[in-house]
Amino acid sequence: MRSPSASPAEARSAKAFRWLLRKEWRELTRARAWWAMLALVGPLVGVSFINAVRTYGEASAGAATGGGEAFSPLDGVWSPTFSAYELIAIFLLPFVAIRLMTADRQSGALKLELQRPISPFARVGAKAIVLLGGWIAAGAAAIAAGVLWASYGGHTYAPELAAVVLGHLLNAALTIGLAAAAATVTEHPSTAAIATLGVTIGTWAVSFIAAVQGGVWETIAGYTPMAMVSMFQHGLVRADVVLIALALAATGFGVAGIWIEIGKSIQTRLVRTAALAGTAALAVTIASFVRPSWDLSENRRNSFSESDEAALRHLPGRLQMEVHLAQRDPRRFDLEVHALAKLRRVRPDVEVTYIARTSIGLFEQADPGYGEIRYNMNGRQAVSRVTTAEGVLETIYDLAGVTVPADNEAPYKGYPLTARPAGAPLIFYVLWPVLTAALGIAINRRTR
Amino acid sequence: MPESLLDGGNGLMYGRKTAISQRNLVVICPRHVRCGVLIVALPAVPLSPAELIRVSRLTKTYGQVLALDDVGFSLRPGEILGLIGPNGAGKTTIFECLARLLPFDSGTIVAAEGVTWFYVPDGISPWPQETVRWALDFSVGFFGGRAQDRDAAIAALSLTPLLDVRIGALSKGQRKRAMLGIGLASPAPILLVDEPFEGLDLRQTREIVRALRAEVARGRTLLLSIHQIADAARVCDRFVLLSNGRVRGEGTLDELRAIDAGAFATAPLEEVFLALT
Repeated sequence: MRSPSASPAEARSAKAFRWLLRKEWRELTRARAWWAMLALVGPLVGVSFINAVRTYGEASAGAATGGGEAFSPLDGVWSPTFSAYELIAIFLLPFVAIRLMTADRQSGALKLELQRPISPFARVGAKAIVLLGGWIAAGAAAIAAGVLWASYGGHTYAPELAAVVLGHLLNAALTIGLAAAAATVTEHPSTAAIATLGVTIGTWAVSFIAAVQGGVWETIAGYTPMAMVSMFQHGLVRADVVLIALALAATGFGVAGIWIEIGKSIQTRLVRTAALAGTAALAVTIASFVRPSWDLSENRRNSFSESDEAALRHLPGRLQMEVHLAQRDPRRFDLEVHALAKLRRVRPDVEVTYIARTSIGLFEQADPGYGEIRYNMNGRQAVSRVTTAEGVLETIYDLAGVTVPADNEAPYKGYPLTARPAGAPLIFYVLWPVLTAALGIAINRRTR
Repeated sequence: MPESLLDGGNGLMYGRKTAISQRNLVVICPRHVRCGVLIVALPAVPLSPAELIRVSRLTKTYGQVLALDDVGFSLRPGEILGLIGPNGAGKTTIFECLARLLPFDSGTIVAAEGVTWFYVPDGISPWPQETVRWALDFSVGFFGGRAQDRDAAIAALSLTPLLDVRIGALSKGQRKRAMLGIGLASPAPILLVDEPFEGLDLRQTREIVRALRAEVARGRTLLLSIHQIADAARVCDRFVLLSNGRVRGEGTLDELRAIDAGAFATAPLEEVFLALT
């Protein structure tokens, strides 16, 4: 819509952008790659959902005598169901994105379109908006799963589901940004596909190295798409992760905007890319210091109880911890996930140092100090070997001379449900592919 | 006449009239482009009222291959200027430099203020899944053209039977006509058309010649690249003879003949071209 104050040039640019959006949407809906992805989304989401509901139901039946608090739809149904989108984002979405990004160049249309003076970022932006729209359309399978779950009497906690959806949207934006950059920088779509998958495999390698080496690799691995999605699937939304994902996706689109200008010399494009990469590195570094985070899970699985959090916030002084556990020692994993991750959310100033001679810790068991967690707060020291959240909290309260706060929160009761995935196979394995194919044919006939 | 200056794709030469008001053009030695060293500033000759675009000392290399070597020529209002040369002479490279689709190493392209041009490339099949009708509508909407120009182009190029055919399904000649239609529907007063007669039979060629002449009569200026000299002689008012990336002559047929009046007094364009190149 044209605002009253828009200049004629702005109005013309806005009109051109609308035409571009329309053209990109038509390109997407003409692309077999997108329809193939759409057709596969249903069965992939379906198989995840059906297995998740079946397992959840079987486990719920076994928990009839107690233990219902262990049943969270987030962990039992939504995380596994949405994990299908993670697979699709890795193996299918890049090809759809590369197809859309390179179609104009392959056909020669880019030589015509570039003659319309419009920002290169608007050109890439139109493609990005359409691709994200295409991804959201693929979310219809998840909506179908939600409707089925509700029809079984299943419980859904909207905030935690929103966290999962946000994580997968950001993951898609990252994938599209990466594919867009690869598609414009490389000469051929197949090279772009290899480059995109190469980066994805590279992030897996980083995660693997982090698991073995720890240290700075662990920090970097915390921002890989896989780790990011996992975090959101646990209902945790961290501002730093959101900002870094947005910065990286924007960098991908920026690189695409620079390289889509085929009239600029390679030297100019390289200089601009380097400047953008530098800006992105700065933005990512700054974003990594942003601390706010939100635990949107209904069972507060990423947080201590509210009373514990209040007590921890008011502890005087800075807490230092020296942990004598090797990188691959399971106790270190327990400590990190169940205690330190929650502790850092309340007290970002906590300083944790890991000390170990090897990464596996197998031959250090006999060392006198191995397994110890040494606490230091305002000169007062304590040593413990307990790696549970309760044990860590108890040691900290003792050290600070604080009485353990009373926990007045109602316990999470859980939502066991002995349901069967009735109707889901028909919807996901039969109706979805048939309807997708019919819709694809109908749309292409109508717009032809 | 106000002027604008195009850059060479390296961001160093971009500017409007203010950038050349002191009559200085920045010229970059091709050998120094990679390190971005400006080695000399030469005085620029302003455009005369009879010029719409002037290309001066345009040089372009692909790796070690010199594609354009010091190319220069002018485009005048209301004319059909033909870039004539065999395949590989550098015609398409000139067009792509003019359309800013290809960076050039050095040289200048000076244009009258406000003048825009639209380049119709050869050998492309844009939006292959879409129909000719959609492509024309998109061109009008996206490039800011007028519906009546689109309709006039459809009529002039006999595109009506092709309107509902997908571009990817068109024959070479049909696609050429559709591409010309896109060009004629654009609002630019100057059209650069790469090989407008490529893939057309004699009858179609004559139709296109008529359509192009009609466009000039309506006030358009055309720059055409043509490798068939007989076709060029049929449609162009003036010629730029190109060979191996160099301009070997520029002018009307009579002006080209006058280069060696004794030898070319009544010679056809083919003979003049062969003698000069």
